[in-house]
Amino acid sequence: MNINDKDDTGVVFRKTLGHYTVCVNGRELDCVLSSLLHKKLIYPTADPASLPHKVQAVREIEHVDPIAIGDRVRFTDAGQNRGMITEILPRLSKLSRPATVPGQRVFEQVIVSNADLVIPVFAAANPPPKWGLLDRYLVTAEAAELPVLIVITKLDLANGNHKLNEDLEIYHRIGYPIHKVSSATGEGIEELKQILQGKMSVLIGKSGVGKTSLLNAIQPGLGLRVKEVSKGELGKGRHTTTYFEMFRLNSGGTIVDTPGMREFGLWNISPDELAYLFPEMANHIGQCRFGMSCHHDSEPGCAIRKTVMDGGISPHRYKSYMNLRREL
Amino acid sequence: MSYHVSSFGDFRCAHCNNHISAAHMLSGVNNRNHCPYCLWSRHLDLYLAGDRLSACKGQMKPVGLTMKKSRNKYQIKPRGELMLIHECVECGGLSINRIAADDDPDSVMEVFCASQSLGNQIRTKCKGQGIMVLTDTEIVSDQIYGWHVKVPAVSCT
Repeated sequence: MNINDKDDTGVVFRKTLGHYTVCVNGRELDCVLSSLLHKKLIYPTADPASLPHKVQAVREIEHVDPIAIGDRVRFTDAGQNRGMITEILPRLSKLSRPATVPGQRVFEQVIVSNADLVIPVFAAANPPPKWGLLDRYLVTAEAAELPVLIVITKLDLANGNHKLNEDLEIYHRIGYPIHKVSSATGEGIEELKQILQGKMSVLIGKSGVGKTSLLNAIQPGLGLRVKEVSKGELGKGRHTTTYFEMFRLNSGGTIVDTPGMREFGLWNISPDELAYLFPEMANHIGQCRFGMSCHHDSEPGCAIRKTVMDGGISPHRYKSYMNLRREL
Repeated sequence: MSYHVSSFGDFRCAHCNNHISAAHMLSGVNNRNHCPYCLWSRHLDLYLAGDRLSACKGQMKPVGLTMKKSRNKYQIKPRGELMLIHECVECGGLSINRIAADDDPDSVMEVFCASQSLGNQIRTKCKGQGIMVLTDTEIVSDQIYGWHVKVPAVSCT
């Protein structure tokens, strides 16, 4: 992505409550959102039964931000490195999940926009990898038509874990690239730098898998805050990174660090298109006895179930598919 | 007044169409996978009980009873737990399942009686997987009705 913009457009690198850091030609501006833009953005949430040209009530969106990291925006320079965002330029891609506000409707939360590469990060151990969560990330990336690189961190804790290699083989066979690193020993970091060169990448994963530690290893000097996972039986990560931020890499490209995401729902994906988002299943769609109407659950003559039983599709991936389908 | 315990995993039996509650307090098992009325099951597990990884999902017919060896040295005869042997009608896979607390004892006895005339093919398949089909009426009767309870002699003829 080209982030050398004209003087009135820039890229959102960081956001905290109501404030956005927009980078333009190496300069950083602290911007706010124009009220006009804010009103336009929240207009669709007004009662659809209201008069067409008269919004009767405008509800505030409290928890979901209309601007995402990576957004290209047009702004008005107010001087003293301050500005006001007046327009969001069309997005090339976006990675979204549903944000549930108790008692309200479900909103879209755009995690990052205009990204070139999605990097689901999982630890080899402590906390142990949850492959069901990886399947959610992969489906979301497939829906956004973004390439994926699965990164396994804490390789120094793996100790020849055969189960880990067996599980990763499932994803390797599907065609997802996998890269193993250790932020502690530096193993695999240089190769990862090469892969990230010239791309805008986003790290996603649950708390404690080592996303920020990985970033610190890729670019020493960032000095981002990291914590150890809790020492209890659960060994869960502790929420350390609390906001989304994009960093420029010295080796070229940018990378977005995100807070840990323990829950990751699917946004705007219909049950019928879900099987297309599992690349190993996509080739078998339409070959079932009931054709395109097959839900691949317990219908007789289902080609996908047959492939699972013949060993062409992993039973774990099929179970993930069924779990996600039940959710939609 | 009807009393219905609803729980996650409740299902309708694909064979006899009865509604089945998966509540642990009723069945005494964690993974309810067969109907307590007709004892038919579904092929849902692949490697371990409760993993729900099988894509077959075919109906499983109760074909016999077996005994899972118990390590409880204080257990009074016979030392073990009575299990149902299920055979998948779709893929022919075999599995053994714990008998649940609410399983109909008469249906279990019926399965046992029917298993006495099992064909050689299925007996060989069971043997190949280390499953011994029970043939001793006394053991089965003791397990179902209790060894200290006097019940009329069960005959499979």
